[in-house]
Amino acid sequence: MSGRRVALKALDWVAFAERVPPNQRAMFNALKTRSDAIAAKLTSLPETPAAIDWSYYRGAVAKAGMVDDFEKKFQALQIPEPVDTQTSAISAQEAESNKSAAAYIEGSKARIAGYEAQLSKFQNMIPFDQMTIEDLNDTFPETKLDKVKNPYWPNKPIADL
Amino acid sequence: MLSRIIIVSASALKGSGPLGAGLVQASRSLHTTSQSLAPVPPLPEKGGKVRHGIFPEEIFQLLYPKTGVTGPYMLGTGLLLYMLSKEIYIINHETFAALSMGAIIFYGAKKFGPGVAAFADKLNEDKVAKAQEVKDVAMASLAQAVEDEKKEQWRAEGRSMIFDAKRNNVAMLLETNYRERLHMVTNEVKRRLDYQIALQDLHRRMEQEHMVKWVEKSVVGSITPQQEKESIAKCITDLKALAKTSQATA
Repeated sequence: MSGRRVALKALDWVAFAERVPPNQRAMFNALKTRSDAIAAKLTSLPETPAAIDWSYYRGAVAKAGMVDDFEKKFQALQIPEPVDTQTSAISAQEAESNKSAAAYIEGSKARIAGYEAQLSKFQNMIPFDQMTIEDLNDTFPETKLDKVKNPYWPNKPIADL
Repeated sequence: MLSRIIIVSASALKGSGPLGAGLVQASRSLHTTSQSLAPVPPLPEKGGKVRHGIFPEEIFQLLYPKTGVTGPYMLGTGLLLYMLSKEIYIINHETFAALSMGAIIFYGAKKFGPGVAAFADKLNEDKVAKAQEVKDVAMASLAQAVEDEKKEQWRAEGRSMIFDAKRNNVAMLLETNYRERLHMVTNEVKRRLDYQIALQDLHRRMEQEHMVKWVEKSVVGSITPQQEKESIAKCITDLKALAKTSQATA
């Protein structure tokens, strides 16, 4: 009847805390306090209970055979281990979160590619003091003056000057 | 400007060697090759060098080998005197007007020229600086955005830790529960055995007390009146003896 020891995975709370984004910090703290409470409760219980001194009882109890009977039944007793219902649910959650994280990372990579394309455009453009107006309109299409819509100088509404 | 073109063509015909330095500014390579350059190379910052505001330096460099430093001045003076004396240029009222206006214009340009030039340059520079600032801000924000995205990806990598923590919690709870069960069983068995022992002790104590009481009662009952009188008489004689001895000592 000895306790079984499930291997607990050593968790680096400091590294974990670094990865938490600021808007989820409250949830992280709640998780941490709960985990700490559970761990404290676990360590407060000794692994095996104190052994019963059968010889003392055999001498002390007058009823014949009672102690022997108890001892036999006690040794033969098997305490059932509690059933684990949650681990599979947790693993399912983990698989789902992996999927959504992969999707997020894909999106993030696409965004990075977009940013880097724009960044390279800025880095490769000619310096402003060597540009002509046509070069400026090519690099920044929004600066092109619409000569069809506003045919007269300054080719843009007065309010935009 | 026309003089400069003449000089350039003249030197091209002469095959100039020593004039190379003086022609550097004028020979910038616009339209020298058949390809069109893009981006168009920037125009030179300053115009060609001039002496006394009008006469290009190239003339002086051209004449230097033959006539030395004073050559062009001599040429200029000679030309002027020639035009005056031969009346190719006639002095009249317009001459005086031209001289006065020239003086005023000269004075104005000398005094206000640099200021106006700086102002115009500043206008241009402001435009360029604004555009440059826009570009810098855009580049900085893009770089920052890339950094942030990378950081978010790094954060997402830590997602397994939550589930490890949860699984640990579940395991710890199960273990705690199991230990509690063990402890409970042991304690219950102990309690029952202790109860038996306590019960036995109680029995024994009650028997003892009962026996004591019974013995007392029988002893007290067995004292007969005869015995009582005898014992009282003996007590009195003892007391008398004691009184005698105490009187003797006192």
